[in-house]
Amino acid sequence: MVDDQKKALRFYTEVLGFIKKRDIPMGEHSWLTVVGPKEPDGTELLLEPMGFEPARVFQKALFDAGIPFTMFQVEDIQAEYLRLQGLGVVFKMPPTPMGPSTIALFADGCGNYIQIFQV
Amino acid sequence: MTFYEQEVRRLHALMYPRPELTRRIIQAKEYIDRNFQGPVGLSSIAGNAFLSKFHFLRLFKLHYGMTPHQYLTAVRLREARRLLAEGLPVSQVCGAVGFDSISSFKGLFKRYWGRTPSMLKKAILETGVAGKV
Repeated sequence: MVDDQKKALRFYTEVLGFIKKRDIPMGEHSWLTVVGPKEPDGTELLLEPMGFEPARVFQKALFDAGIPFTMFQVEDIQAEYLRLQGLGVVFKMPPTPMGPSTIALFADGCGNYIQIFQV
Repeated sequence: MTFYEQEVRRLHALMYPRPELTRRIIQAKEYIDRNFQGPVGLSSIAGNAFLSKFHFLRLFKLHYGMTPHQYLTAVRLREARRLLAEGLPVSQVCGAVGFDSISSFKGLFKRYWGRTPSMLKKAILETGVAGKV
């Protein structure tokens, strides 16, 4: 869920590197999805508009607790950390070992924390 | 510190209390990643990690949620899918990813990807998109 679809589209495409797949008008919002560049016909990520008040409470509770709304696997977390920092992304948690994985956490600017991880 | 950061620290300490053992298990996994094309035996991986076979098996499963053999098979089958998408013949892919028997390869492949290597290759080449099938 995102609080501003235009802002979310910019962040998820220009910063994170997704590609816009669908942008179908739906009243005041859009059915807006993005996909990974390596799998344009793979799973779509829905940038769902915040249009339901209880969902806002849920999203804020997650954010206040620092819990990521979703996570993406990356091949080289250190490189991705540096790349995103270079694009102005502020990390809540830098790359941190978690057993055999390494995780890092940043805000998407649309009300969510996003986690990236490397196994 | 947020609730999530506290949980990450708590779980890390609870699940992985010995960093040296975790490091050795990660190295063993990386060994499989580098050597899956050839014969990879449990004894040699465990030995490289300076652990008994039983201890290694238990620790690997604790860290990755599967046995080393299951992990090795998964690595081989993912690579097989990639090679098939490049257009390589099934028999060549079988050998290239470390399987000795073509029938065993076909059976494992179908169980993992839901269709035989030939079916998947055909679908990929027809659609031209590996992620679609």
